Amino acid sequence: MRKSKHTWRALLLTALCCLIGVSLGGTLAYADNGASSYNYSFWGRTVAAPAAYKATTVLDGKMLGIGALKDPTDLHVTTDNQIYVLDSGNNRIVVFDSQFKLIRTIDSFMRDGKQETFNNPQGLFVTPQKQLIIADTGNQRVVELDANLSVIKVIDPPQSDLLNTNFKFQPVRVIADQAHRIYVMSIGVFDGFMEFNQNGEFTSFIGANRVKVDPTELLWKRLSTRAQRSQMVMFTPTEFTNLDINDEGFIYATNGDVWGDTIRKLNAQGNDILRRTGYFNPKGDIRYTTEQGPGRLIDIDVTDSEMYSVLDGARGRVFTYNGDGHFMYMFGGIGNQLGQFKMPVAIERVGDDFLVLDKAFGEITVFKSTEYGRTLNEATRSYYRGDEEKAFELYNKTINMNANLEYAYSGIGKALLRKGEYKEAMHYFEESYDRGNYSKAFLLYRKQVLREHFPTIMTGIVVLVLAAFAARVLWKRKKLSRIRGVSIES
Amino acid sequence: MFRLNRELIKYPFYIIMHPFNGFWDLKYDRTQRNNVIISFVILFLLVITNILSSEYSGFLVNLINPNDMNSLMEIAYVVVPVLFWCVANWSLTTLMDGEGKFVDIFTSTCFALVPMIVINFPWIWLSKVISLQETAFYYFFSSFAVFWSLFLLFVGNMTIHQFSPSKTIATILLTVVAMGFIAFICLLFFSLTQQMISFVNVVYKELALRR
Repeated sequence: MRKSKHTWRALLLTALCCLIGVSLGGTLAYADNGASSYNYSFWGRTVAAPAAYKATTVLDGKMLGIGALKDPTDLHVTTDNQIYVLDSGNNRIVVFDSQFKLIRTIDSFMRDGKQETFNNPQGLFVTPQKQLIIADTGNQRVVELDANLSVIKVIDPPQSDLLNTNFKFQPVRVIADQAHRIYVMSIGVFDGFMEFNQNGEFTSFIGANRVKVDPTELLWKRLSTRAQRSQMVMFTPTEFTNLDINDEGFIYATNGDVWGDTIRKLNAQGNDILRRTGYFNPKGDIRYTTEQGPGRLIDIDVTDSEMYSVLDGARGRVFTYNGDGHFMYMFGGIGNQLGQFKMPVAIERVGDDFLVLDKAFGEITVFKSTEYGRTLNEATRSYYRGDEEKAFELYNKTINMNANLEYAYSGIGKALLRKGEYKEAMHYFEESYDRGNYSKAFLLYRKQVLREHFPTIMTGIVVLVLAAFAARVLWKRKKLSRIRGVSIES
Repeated sequence: MFRLNRELIKYPFYIIMHPFNGFWDLKYDRTQRNNVIISFVILFLLVITNILSSEYSGFLVNLINPNDMNSLMEIAYVVVPVLFWCVANWSLTTLMDGEGKFVDIFTSTCFALVPMIVINFPWIWLSKVISLQETAFYYFFSSFAVFWSLFLLFVGNMTIHQFSPSKTIATILLTVVAMGFIAFICLLFFSLTQQMISFVNVVYKELALRR
């Protein structure tokens, strides 16, 4: 009796193991495709997507041969793929080539014959001419050096009627445009970015965020007395969290808003001209639990073909969008595994690879594109260039790898529309819920069909009209004759 | 028999074109049995129209997530409001000296829904052959159908209860409020029942697992 019970148990155990094995095998095959990555469907559901990027290496200061990085805060990659890392805690800038071979370390510069150093610099920008612009936060200044590290100019705290008397200049992020205007993001400035002209003079603010008021806060404020109100927090516009500039000179900026548009593309007037024609406004995660709250975007990186990536500091995720605002792919996360971070602060692209800088670990994680990521990037580029043949082919390849990527169907549809295959184009536009283009394709298709069948349709109508007319005449005659017949009978 | 059937089919169309005479006939001249049968047919056709509309309308006017579509729920979306409306209206008008019986209210309500079938049904198929610019027509006609039905509801209510127009409007508004109350009470009833059942269930489980 006892023994039989034992065998039963053993059998049950094996069966259970088999079941678990089978189910594991099933999910493994799926996870192999990178189910950790996701996209959002048209309906706002989270759908699995293959990983577009995979972390390949993690580099820390020791591996790079420069000693540990201490609280690094910013990264910059030039067009010829030189990598500049701002090692804030060590007050230095480290320059690598694309293979992460050390080129040089910059920790001081000569100014008026004296050697000067940085004090907790937070922001870094390198112009295409290799001029370095450093937000030297601790020294309350912005330093611009040329390629040989001689000073071009130093921007000290500006004097202006636009600024408060107790204004404290704390630059944290900098960029420069082709005309050598410098835009500075400074702590405690709510009026937007500070714009400095070529001579380093403060000219104006640009692109202020609007004040967002929480309705319940407003209600409390209305109900409270003046004394209470003075104790409350003032409604101020949210500060920007980061900025980048693309090769056309548009500033891309992120801000720390809880709702509203957290990513903006500013033109020279400071107006937001970001295209938001995707299924959702680009803002990182659109689904989150109320306890978690929305993400907080803290860095942005623009690349060619209007693609841009944002870094969500709260969840450690990097989201990439195309110029139309369609969500392309995401990667990253908070954690201890390869490809996850503790406190990511900056992202940059090196070619098609991504670098993510982790402030807490002092590490740089290198992400390389997968087959899927490469195809999607190339498809987006071809589409942006207007090379629809190529885009058609690449988008087809993309949806073969990820059938959930709805906006890719629209790309295929547009190529088909150009080719004159309206019916197929309609089908693809329907797949991507693109009503505008569907309608365009449909109108052309309708015209085509009507033109083809015009003789048949016209003949049909004429025959019908004639038949109706004949029937009417016959019916009347019959009625008449019946009445006549009746009259004769009576 | 054929004559009769033809008459039955023609009658709803007569009522929507000549509501004042039509509803008068509905109440005083026509057999109640036939009216009720036609009413159920109308309700059924409306359900069918709604289901077909959410399933087959053109892509440009019909952005419904196929995962969220449920034909059985479509039945509820038609039947429940009609039922609530009739109950609420009957409860109010009996207090407000309305002359209509419940059957009259039910039949007049159902007959008033005819435009929603007559206009929307062809548009299910027409919506497949229109462009985005032409969807204005679609929306115009579907709202036209709604307003026509509302007008018929108004006339029907007025005729059935022999109210003045202003009193009818007041009744209709009150009916809507009453529908809200009914919905609230229904929800309350169901959630309380649920709570009671789960309470009994928990007590039973406690006792059962105690041993």
